[in-house]
Amino acid sequence: MSQLRRDPVTGRWIIVDITDPKRPEEFELKSQVKKGGVCPFCSGNEKMTPPEIEAVREPNSQPNTPGWSVRVVSNKFPALKIEGDLDKRGIGVYDMTNGVGAHEVIIETTDHYRDMADLTQNEIKNVIFKYRSRSLDLEKDKRFKYILIFKNHGSSAGASLEHTHTQLVALPIVPKRVKEELKGASTYFGYRERCVFCDMIAQELEDKLRMISENKRFVAFCPFVPRFAFETWIVPKRHSQNFKSIDDMDIDYLAQILKDTLVRLKVVLKDPPYNFIIHTAPIRDGLNEEFHWHLEIMPKLTNVAGFEWGSGFYINPTSPEFTAKYLREVQV
Amino acid sequence: MPELRKDPIIGRWVIISVERAKRPSDFKVSHPEDEECPCPFCEGHEKDTLPEVFAIRKADSKKDGRGWDIRVVPSISQRFDLDGGLERRGIGMYDVMNPIAAHDIIIESPKHFTDIYQLSGEQIELIINTSVRRIVELEKDPRLKYCLLFKNHGLRAGGSKVTRHVRSQIIATPVTPTRVKEELRGARFYYQYKERCIFCDIIRQELDTGDRIVMETDTILAVAPFASRFPFEIWIVPKKHCSDFINIEMREIKDLATVLKTITYKLYQLLDDPPYNYMLHTAPFRHAKRPGYWRSITEDYHWHIEVTPRITQVAGFEWGSGFYINPTPPEDAAKYLREAKAL
Repeated sequence: MSQLRRDPVTGRWIIVDITDPKRPEEFELKSQVKKGGVCPFCSGNEKMTPPEIEAVREPNSQPNTPGWSVRVVSNKFPALKIEGDLDKRGIGVYDMTNGVGAHEVIIETTDHYRDMADLTQNEIKNVIFKYRSRSLDLEKDKRFKYILIFKNHGSSAGASLEHTHTQLVALPIVPKRVKEELKGASTYFGYRERCVFCDMIAQELEDKLRMISENKRFVAFCPFVPRFAFETWIVPKRHSQNFKSIDDMDIDYLAQILKDTLVRLKVVLKDPPYNFIIHTAPIRDGLNEEFHWHLEIMPKLTNVAGFEWGSGFYINPTSPEFTAKYLREVQV
Repeated sequence: MPELRKDPIIGRWVIISVERAKRPSDFKVSHPEDEECPCPFCEGHEKDTLPEVFAIRKADSKKDGRGWDIRVVPSISQRFDLDGGLERRGIGMYDVMNPIAAHDIIIESPKHFTDIYQLSGEQIELIINTSVRRIVELEKDPRLKYCLLFKNHGLRAGGSKVTRHVRSQIIATPVTPTRVKEELRGARFYYQYKERCIFCDIIRQELDTGDRIVMETDTILAVAPFASRFPFEIWIVPKKHCSDFINIEMREIKDLATVLKTITYKLYQLLDDPPYNYMLHTAPFRHAKRPGYWRSITEDYHWHIEVTPRITQVAGFEWGSGFYINPTPPEDAAKYLREAKAL
């Protein structure tokens, strides 16, 4: 028997299986095997990437040489280009603009064979520091409206290079998916005068059914309305619309819970392909106080089929109560 | 310079790579399909499926026996149920309801074919007729609000491991799904503003420019949409305005069969049997529950079929933003498809 559930933020309906949810071993789990070979993100190959923008480096080491532990470079094959002004125009019924934007890569470690889950809490902390400093730097550019930070792990989650990295894209428009969330949060706030995500955290902490872990500043849980099996969200307990405003202490706690969650997923699902995405308010965001930034982790265990593509209605072969139990109880 | 293009109906932006545009041969299509198991959809195996709910049969044949051209059976996944009420309710801040929905499998041939282009034009016409019949039947259930007809071809498009037997599916749901709703809203918004159907405007402009046309017949147009999310995405639209697929005319059925056959063959040729999905977007069921709710729908909406090959991976960027990066401009895709060998 399954159940239809409605996402309180976007209004999207999904179907979860509550009586016979799929167990982890019933999915076709494919561990990510690294092939090695020449890699532009490995130490010693700094010349193979565009020049570095920022790095965490040993004192006295020179930019674009070894001696770094986290390195930020432009994407060699950017989806958007940094030069030029936005040129919005119409062609009959259609609208378009040129592709102005920034596309950067944050290389999380020099070690080709360690994934984010294998990094120490301190290493992850340094990576998150770069997420923040790049966000703060790019938002100064008046052409940009939104900064999207995301990670593709494993080739079936869209990673083209196997060396662990995160990507950051600054966009000249606010993407649709973000607009939907902002609108949903704002509608909820208009009705209840409370933040939908704050309410969600309160209910999850009380129900406990979908909780994975918590620390002083963050909670990790499987959302009530997951599109994907083992989908997991990390949400700050303190209401804050924008990721960039996290303080150093937050970064510490975020590194702890992110590592913990990635390790749990890695153990339970044998190193699954996944995407994670930081959902945050647009850059010039005075009007988005109802929003609450968070990080969504989506393991890619099944193929998205015609029904999902055509309807935006997801069929989840398991349930978040069930997946949270696995993730909560696994020994790490 | 890449281009950002906006979908005029729902406002989704797409990044189109113009400079390093990918050609068909740049995509590597893998075929991870294993050896097939005994196929439950072949003629003679009728007992391996649930009892049929509809079939086009030869005069002297019996239900769930041999002698059929098309067979419709309920899906064995049994995720849905047609017994009972919806029981919409809240759990704290969350909303839930029972899975009252129908899930049909339309077995498109008694023989073990694996793609549409292998079927005869007449057979494809029968498939279209069957789809219409099923949708009309499902609409009678007042609990159901929308009906999505779709096809998953190949594993990466969500196809099954058990068999590649040619088939499509129908899922009728008790809510209008979000993706459909935003399209309905977008079309209504445009209509309120211009008093014209946005799809009709698109058709006029595409026929006028011509560079995104994949093929056309007297009644049907196939184009690579201006803001294509995926390389070689194709939309199939009836030229004459019509909001609801169930009102498709005889001539349109004939032409649609030709277009489906030609396009699936061209994709097969050009991209080496790529995984693909197609889905029908049509007007929702309009039970008179909320008066006036769909008042202008017959004027503002226009049914169409979206065909989307699955030859690139959807990654974090797309999931997080709903913003797609397409490495093949639709003008290029349309040209390749126009020039590909036809059957």
